[in-house]
Amino acid sequence: MEYKVFDRTKPIGEFTAQPDDDLIICRCEEITKGEIRKAVYDGMYTINEIKRYLRAGMGLCQGLTCGRNVKDIVARELGISPAELEEATPRPPARPVTAKVYADCRGEED
Amino acid sequence: MKRYDLIVIGAGPAGLSAAIEGAKAGMRTALFDENEKPGGQLFKQIHKFFGSKEHKAKIRGINIGGELLKEAETAGVEVHLSSTVIGIYPEKCISVNRGDHIENYRAEAIIVATGAAERMIPFKGWDLPGVLGAGAAQTMMNLHGVMPGNKIVMMGTGNVGLVVSFQLLQAGCQVEALIDAAPRVGGYGVHAAKVARTGVPFYLSHTIVEAKGTDHVESVVIGQVDEKFRIIPGTEKEMEADTVCVAVGLNPMSQLVRMTGCEMKEVGGLVPACDEYGATSIPGIFAAGDVSGIEEASSAMIEGHITGLAAAKYAGWIEEDTFKTQVEERTASLEKLRQGMFAPQNKGKKIEKTDEGLPVSASLLERGYMDANEMETYPGVVKKEGVHPVIECSQNIPCDPCQEACPFGCIKVGERITDLPAVTEDSVCKNCGACVAACPGQAIFLVNEDEDGTYGTVTLPYEFLPLPQAGDRGKGLDRSGRPVCDAEVVKVQDTNAFDKTAVLTMRVPREYAMTARFFKKEV
Ligand SMILES: Cc1cc2nc3c(=O)[nH]c(=O)nc-3n(C[C@H](O)[C@H](O)[C@H](O)COP(=O)(O)OP(=O)(O)OC[C@H]3O[C@@H](n4cnc5c(N)ncnc54)[C@H](O)[C@@H]3O)c2cc1C
Repeated sequence: MEYKVFDRTKPIGEFTAQPDDDLIICRCEEITKGEIRKAVYDGMYTINEIKRYLRAGMGLCQGLTCGRNVKDIVARELGISPAELEEATPRPPARPVTAKVYADCRGEED
Repeated sequence: MKRYDLIVIGAGPAGLSAAIEGAKAGMRTALFDENEKPGGQLFKQIHKFFGSKEHKAKIRGINIGGELLKEAETAGVEVHLSSTVIGIYPEKCISVNRGDHIENYRAEAIIVATGAAERMIPFKGWDLPGVLGAGAAQTMMNLHGVMPGNKIVMMGTGNVGLVVSFQLLQAGCQVEALIDAAPRVGGYGVHAAKVARTGVPFYLSHTIVEAKGTDHVESVVIGQVDEKFRIIPGTEKEMEADTVCVAVGLNPMSQLVRMTGCEMKEVGGLVPACDEYGATSIPGIFAAGDVSGIEEASSAMIEGHITGLAAAKYAGWIEEDTFKTQVEERTASLEKLRQGMFAPQNKGKKIEKTDEGLPVSASLLERGYMDANEMETYPGVVKKEGVHPVIECSQNIPCDPCQEACPFGCIKVGERITDLPAVTEDSVCKNCGACVAACPGQAIFLVNEDEDGTYGTVTLPYEFLPLPQAGDRGKGLDRSGRPVCDAEVVKVQDTNAFDKTAVLTMRVPREYAMTARFFKKEV
């Protein structure tokens, strides 16, 4: 896949409020559409940046529900197609694992 | 670290089929799934499947799952349940979370068959309890025996929305409305028709404006949309409901396979770019089923077999020529499924004529049921004396169990399994009901248009409990679910061979024999 590379020196304009900005998009972390849109104007152009800035997609479902919706919102603000935005880097654990399990994790011998 | 020859992730139809091929080739094969029960989506599919005999048509999904599982066990697949794969690492290693610990495994080849997750469309109030995915509702009902709610609004008229609506009705829920922003029903017409005839209204070119309620859904506001999907002011309509099911598509669950660093592509979701056998750009890493492109269980199974064979060949367990002959057979079978109006290559296209050159029913696409006056266009609907089959099948879908179901040769599908079924000229129907029960679309009726000058009879598929009994009186409903006449049940057949599709015969005034298509008992 070829993803869009941004020239960040070019301004994208000002954030303007929309009537449904209070709509929750990431249910796990309770992040609204307005917060995601604002983040773009704060300079967060990639899904990885949005994720670290807002925690959208970092909750229990790990973005399985909201991932696509977050991508659509960011792409629209940037005026590009969602397919041009790279998804967040996938990392283990792919599903939430309790800290207890990791704490108990003894290194296995090969 | 424990080693296997083949690791398969996800025990849905694709994963099970892939693991079977690996084990059959002699590979030490392990299959991991995060759920307590294997089968992936299949174990929730209580309806009869489409396709041909080779695709296990007219068998219920759940039973296909059972067959696959048995086959996997016989072949020697180690099935690990409640085992969540949390990471894939270089050198084909995986980490698995089982209970309170993590285990690591390595294999010669890995097949990722993790399926898909439901898409959601955010609307005002979508975060209220009571809004859930249609697949989630299906899991609640069919795996856990829990009704998701009482009054349901279903969003989405694709096959998932249609099938789950029918299953909600079977579970005893009331489906208030089926809505879709598109101007046409997205799924099979026969799935729509079996929901419509119970009285569920379809609202095409509509969307949900808002789900209202304080701590759960109490009502739903819908509104009509224009061609740009904007709500037309003044068309809003509020209906009482406690549940909204969302069936607007699936996203391939490709997070895990992406960890391998394989090449990806966008086709209705992000999927690994695979060759025709499911090999990703990383040697030894394969993908099959919904994770590599949303399709169906029937195709996921075949893809799984092909990918399993490819992994076996990659790791040196089968020879090139064995691989070739086996794959050829599977590919031919897959091609048969990928035909007809709903084939992947026709996605999004507006199809106005059937392969036979007949006009596609507009009413079916806009309201979920065919108009009585469109009926006679189709080769399955003929006028005859005495009892005869009336096949209300008007779209080219890959499905042909009806042809084989009739032991008397009354029904012919033709060369391709997507051809419309026809009632043969000089055949004599013996009124056995086998075709009625066999049709996965519940689109076949046996009709006697004139029994004695006053009454006619209609024999229909019936999958609701409690089952009506001979002598029960009630109303005959037309294809839209509107009560149109008095009806009396004269016979109910419920044999093992019919596999839980009861075949109910009702007597109606003869002028309603071609109109009444469902029975509702008087209460
Ligand atoms: C309501 C509905 C009706 C349908 N009706 C039909 C029909 O009539 N005919 C038809 O052919 N198809 C039908 N389908 C489609 C069919 O069910 C799917 O296409 C098919 O199940 C895909 O198979 P799969 O093996 O790729 O994935 P799945 O069946 O989704 O299986 C994937 C499995 O992998 C598991 N998994 C995922 N990630 C991990 C992980 N990290 N670790 C461990 N396990 C993991 C999942 O939990 C799941 O059990 C229907 C689907 C739905 C939702």
